[in-house]
Amino acid sequence: MAAMKTRTSSFSRNISGAPTSPIPGLKYGPNGTIFVSSGISDLDKILGGGYPLGSLVVVMEDSEAPHHMLLLRNFMSQGLIHKQPLLYASPSSDPRAFLGTLPSPLSSKDDRSRDRDAEQEKGLRIAWQYKKYFGDEQKVEGRGDGKLEYCNDFDLRKPLERYFFSGQSIDCISLHDNPSLYTFRDRCSAFLAQLPRYDGKITSAGRIAIQSFCSPQCEFSNMEWGMLSFIRYLKSMVRSSNAVAVLTFPHSLVSPSFSKRLQHLADTLLSVRAIQDEDKELAKLLTGYQDMVGLLNIHKVPVILDATTFSMKLQKRRSLVLECLNQAPVDCSSGTSYATSGSCSGSSTSGTLDF
Amino acid sequence: MDRSSSLLDEALDLDGLTTPSPSQPARVVLVEDCVETSGAFILHHLMKRFLSPHSSNAVVFVAFAHPFSHYERILRKMGCNLVVQRDNNRFLFFDMLMLECPGLDGGVGQSIESGLFALYGKIQKAVEVSSLAESKRNITVMIDDLSLMEVAANGSSNHVMDFLHYCHTLTTQFGCSLVTLCHEDIYSSTERATIPLQVEYLADVIIKAEPLASGLATDVHGQLTVLNKGFYDGLGSSRSKMRNFHYRIKENIVEYFYPGSRT
Amino acid sequence: MAESVSRALRDGALDGEHAPALAIKDSGDSPFGLAVFSHVLTQLASNVLAGKSQSRFVVLDCYTDPLGWKERLMECGSITNSSPKVSVNTSLCKDIRDLDKLFSLILQQGKGFLGEGKSRFSVAIDSEPGLSGRKAHGGGSLCLIDERADLDLMSNLSLGKVSEMLRHTSTSSVAGLISNLRSHNLVSCVFWLLHSDFHEIRVAAALEYLSSMLASIEQMTRPNDVPRDNSQNISLLEHNYRRGKFHVRFKRRNGRVRVMSEEFQVEQSRIKFMSVSSEDGTIAQSLVPKVQFNLQLSEKEKVDRAKVVLPFEHQGNGRSIDIYDGRRSLNDGKSDTMPASSEKVQTNEDSGRGEIIYFRDSDDEMPDSDEDPDDDLDI
Repeated sequence: MAAMKTRTSSFSRNISGAPTSPIPGLKYGPNGTIFVSSGISDLDKILGGGYPLGSLVVVMEDSEAPHHMLLLRNFMSQGLIHKQPLLYASPSSDPRAFLGTLPSPLSSKDDRSRDRDAEQEKGLRIAWQYKKYFGDEQKVEGRGDGKLEYCNDFDLRKPLERYFFSGQSIDCISLHDNPSLYTFRDRCSAFLAQLPRYDGKITSAGRIAIQSFCSPQCEFSNMEWGMLSFIRYLKSMVRSSNAVAVLTFPHSLVSPSFSKRLQHLADTLLSVRAIQDEDKELAKLLTGYQDMVGLLNIHKVPVILDATTFSMKLQKRRSLVLECLNQAPVDCSSGTSYATSGSCSGSSTSGTLDF
Repeated sequence: MDRSSSLLDEALDLDGLTTPSPSQPARVVLVEDCVETSGAFILHHLMKRFLSPHSSNAVVFVAFAHPFSHYERILRKMGCNLVVQRDNNRFLFFDMLMLECPGLDGGVGQSIESGLFALYGKIQKAVEVSSLAESKRNITVMIDDLSLMEVAANGSSNHVMDFLHYCHTLTTQFGCSLVTLCHEDIYSSTERATIPLQVEYLADVIIKAEPLASGLATDVHGQLTVLNKGFYDGLGSSRSKMRNFHYRIKENIVEYFYPGSRT
Repeated sequence: MAESVSRALRDGALDGEHAPALAIKDSGDSPFGLAVFSHVLTQLASNVLAGKSQSRFVVLDCYTDPLGWKERLMECGSITNSSPKVSVNTSLCKDIRDLDKLFSLILQQGKGFLGEGKSRFSVAIDSEPGLSGRKAHGGGSLCLIDERADLDLMSNLSLGKVSEMLRHTSTSSVAGLISNLRSHNLVSCVFWLLHSDFHEIRVAAALEYLSSMLASIEQMTRPNDVPRDNSQNISLLEHNYRRGKFHVRFKRRNGRVRVMSEEFQVEQSRIKFMSVSSEDGTIAQSLVPKVQFNLQLSEKEKVDRAKVVLPFEHQGNGRSIDIYDGRRSLNDGKSDTMPASSEKVQTNEDSGRGEIIYFRDSDDEMPDSDEDPDDDLDI
């Protein structure tokens, strides 16, 4: 875990030192990588800055919980706020309706209150060494009300204002009505083609969000090879353009080998998992169990990182935060196939840790 | 650091791979990995070794997984400039990211076979050209990776095997080495999966990257098991040998060490 | 015993009978089929060469260009040479998918150098590439079919590996090719190599069925799913890649099956057979019809068992000794005497039964006292 800590902190130094990126919504990382925000500041930090441009992010859904939607919503909202072109595909027959559920950024007043929370917390619990870096960073990001932030905090209860949708390139595709993957593919290529090409200077980045790709109501859901070559094609297209594609799929509904192939194709692989309600065992084993809504596993990232599990919490019932899973030092049966790790500290903000 | 990185080289008998010798037939190397522990770093390691400035070896790289810039960035970090090597005709890169057989355009029916046949033609031509350029040069054909090639061939493992068979004929014809990457966990739920089984038969060296049986640890990223079927011990006899060790991936380098040999 | 295989192949077919057919079967755990195949081929070759000076080999090469890709590339001029060094005795098979054509090609090749006469040739099918590279009879390519004639006008023929063929064609057509070859009056023997784990059991069984001899290669031990993370397991696995077991089943004309097994060791791509010292009963057992388990011991077995000296038994010169077991709690220590005495009676009746009776040294001693309960052990 030490590796991660250092990485996170060195990353913060970069940010404060580097000249602010000319384009809002893009962040320059080491080795020429460019990140776009996932819309969840904790996830950005864990991933070392966000989703790298040109990468394919795959989220394995939990069939029982809609946590993947949380990730998608924040991702899409963040893009719209940054005025980045968006392509959204989902198996529902009216995908545009989903846009109405996108969360709105917290107003600066709320933002400050969160800052103050963190501030307070710092005053109360100074045992956490790296906390102060996060505090600093937040201040850096929060500065300048007129400027767009790289990553906003979102209020999940408040829908995104209408004006964000206007005058932007938003493409919605229903996978249900689209009988063939070819047309879908053509839509994707068309969407990517309209993005300005990368020529040393990036002006904008596109976001592709594909929800529940292999869900059974899609006609192509039994054509595994077709879907694989679609994803392979999508990946190589995204590679050569300045866009990020996030794709979620229900891994319990597809064959194990297909799921593995898809996981291999991912540049960043996440999975979400529901946690059982009112599980006394878990409540005893995990600190902060009461506030958790689910678990987020990070299986694969472009940077070196130990695979870890994070808990997803709704702070004040509206904004999503991630926290390192803090386990009692007992071999807990909660982690089935996932690599859980109880030792990771210092990765997320505003932890309600019991010291 | 030198000592630890030589653990993989020693297990692979890399000197035998990089320097062609009449007594040593060409070799087929198979890298098997899974989602948790990617084996790509082994390919990068081999690439770097093959392209070392002390030799004139050439690499023919068939990429299904990543574009040139990806490998270029990684190898640059490791101290090997692929652009220069490409200009020197020591590194031949085939970008097959968009290869699809049968072609999706729906138009002129490009069958699976003809697509792979065309690719093979390119490879053989490249091998021929670079073997003519300098005699006694060892050429390595690398394929990254077989599982994606299977996707490109629309799931026809038979055609992939045909293709591999032809690549294999290059090893006897030109003394090439063949290095392939295969994601083993994809096939773990399939019985008698053609590709991993048949390639394991063909391979002289099998490198398996797996997570530790005990789960992931902070300072160990996984374990490598190297089975070298025709290890040449230098005294003129060959026998198979097997090695197992742990590795840890760092920013620019991978550390190899025997289990328990680090605190 | 490997020799008897070669001998059977050398002797070839009798008039009016099918040629002997050898199937060599291996699996991924012990992939030495090729080594055995090479061994058989070399033996056969030297047998022929020893007796008759004018014998020669013809190689029908199905390895280099099984689908005709190279030929097509040559035609369009993108490559210059399609095969490395075409030796005089090699001809290329350019379409492995058409087995009828292959069959006629084999016959044509065979007849071609047999000339007139009643001679026979043998066929070895192998599409495995390593073969010729590592093998006695040089040439850079893989030979699929190897035929030779001998002066005697009685010639042999060997056939190689069929797994590759099966990928391209159906089981029935490969089986058809083999049985056609076997029944052809010019063919004296056929042998082939089969990787059993490539195929469904049904397919493998079909090809075994066609053989008159089945040689199967197994690994020495079964370290199934041994974790590879300790050095002992590694050396065990490594061991498996150097040696193995070799079982041969001869389907004899009189209806009996002769089973033989040997061990082999692979050295420098050559294979060395060693007879097994202690014939383990596993082979024989598989032939015995299933009978029920015998729960009774025979008289001899009882005597044998009585002879076994158990641990601690020597301490009392044959008398059983009471030993404090250190584990029973104080409570049931009270009742110790009862069962113990009854057991003792039993023991006296049959001192050879070898039961061990544990006793506390003294009952007033706490089981978890400082004293080492194992103090009185004398091993």
